[in-house]
Amino acid sequence: MNCEQCQKLISAFLDNDLDEKESASVQTHLALCIQCAKICEDFAVILDFCHEQPASETLLPNSQALWCRISNSIETEIKAEHAHVKKQKQTEEKKGWFPRVWKFSFSQAASAVLGIALISSLLTVAGIKNYSAATPDPDIVFALPSEPNAFEKVLGKLGLIETAQDVRRRRIEQQRAAIEYWNKRIEARRMQWNAHLREAFDRNLNEIDQAVNEYTLILQENPQDELSGEMLDSTLNEKMELLREFSDL
Amino acid sequence: MNLDLHNLFGFSASKKTTILLWLSVVFFTFSIAEISAQAKFAKTYPASKTVQLRLINRSGTVTVEGWDRSEVAISAYMEKPAANIAPQSLSGMIVINLVKDNQGRNEVGNVNFLIRVPYTSSVDIETRMGNLNVSNIQGNLVRAHISSEGDIILMNVVSPAVVAENGIGDIFFDGEIKREGSYRFTSMRGAINLRIPFESSFKLVATAPTTRSINLGSFPNNNMNFVGNGRRIVGKIGDGSATFTVTNQRGSIAFIRR
Repeated sequence: MNCEQCQKLISAFLDNDLDEKESASVQTHLALCIQCAKICEDFAVILDFCHEQPASETLLPNSQALWCRISNSIETEIKAEHAHVKKQKQTEEKKGWFPRVWKFSFSQAASAVLGIALISSLLTVAGIKNYSAATPDPDIVFALPSEPNAFEKVLGKLGLIETAQDVRRRRIEQQRAAIEYWNKRIEARRMQWNAHLREAFDRNLNEIDQAVNEYTLILQENPQDELSGEMLDSTLNEKMELLREFSDL
Repeated sequence: MNLDLHNLFGFSASKKTTILLWLSVVFFTFSIAEISAQAKFAKTYPASKTVQLRLINRSGTVTVEGWDRSEVAISAYMEKPAANIAPQSLSGMIVINLVKDNQGRNEVGNVNFLIRVPYTSSVDIETRMGNLNVSNIQGNLVRAHISSEGDIILMNVVSPAVVAENGIGDIFFDGEIKREGSYRFTSMRGAINLRIPFESSFKLVATAPTTRSINLGSFPNNNMNFVGNGRRIVGKIGDGSATFTVTNQRGSIAFIRR
């Protein structure tokens, strides 16, 4: 089950309207996906609030009048939009089907054709090369480090596509920004924790930082080491999680 | 050299008896004080067989056991200053969130839980610090997450989705692998030991980048790829219908035949 499917079912899940199988798959997804779990938690809080509050307290006074006003303003907006669309159509019809005429000189047209031919032949060669290359077992390929092919390397050097290192660098920057944010929250909260909690937190943070330093050093020596890149990513995620979870205390 | 036990430390027998008597009184007084420093919370809920338990603890040991009854029994032993506990029962789900219930409080003591649930329940427990023990559970999900330190023990767990994550501490899993199941074990430092039946079939991605200590035990490794100079093992055991992902950043991984 993906996030979109899960989020569609969350409401029914909380209302206990799903069958056993659907409920189980939603529950499994919620355990594995933090984002959806948070949405579910928010929904549960809203539901909880609604259950706790009597209807008279949550309904606004004069709700019928309010709804009337909202519906009137929606209708006015829709009418205005229809009028605008109609006007636009009429002007387009006046202009005709081909409002612009593209004019090229012979040399421009020839170089465009040559360019297209060159790009398509390059793509064909790259495609054939990739297709003919021996492919490992598709079931385990997800865990093997993938080397960029020659075509990807050239495009990467030209700056036309993002290389794995570019993606990693961007991701690390995002993670570091998030860590900085959570660090500030921790600094504000940690004085309230007891000594045991503070010590445990520091020990774990230290362990994570050591791992981050190790992977950073390895990647400085060998930027192509995808496994260390992946481990650095997961360690930074763990650091973020640790900071986030302790900032709630 | 002869020791005169009767006159040891220069006390007479009657004085020694009095001292012993006083010492025992002091000892019992302290023991009673220790016990009274713990508050107890207990509640029982009627439950369906597929009830879901969701627990978020701050610190302390959590033990969840499956039993053959249609009810959930929660016992919590709270060290002082005692935490607030307000379990909620929402549409087939029992939620205990000690982090939320005690937010903004400066000092909260450890809370040690013993929770009994129908053995077909789903269990999702986490704690910021402390040990998590789950046993005899066959529900759709078993998830145990420790934010910092603590050991995770999952005994006799038969579930299609198992997740165990901790920072510093050991993880021990003893259970069966379901077809199409998903099993994820992650630790920062400690030992991950997985005890599963020999005939289990799964796709494996085991990573121990620092120690490179990945021991498949008696499981065959002829369909395995050793990646990154042995930092990761990737491959299939049997027809590979389940997925097993094990990562130990600075510790060891070992498979044991059940």
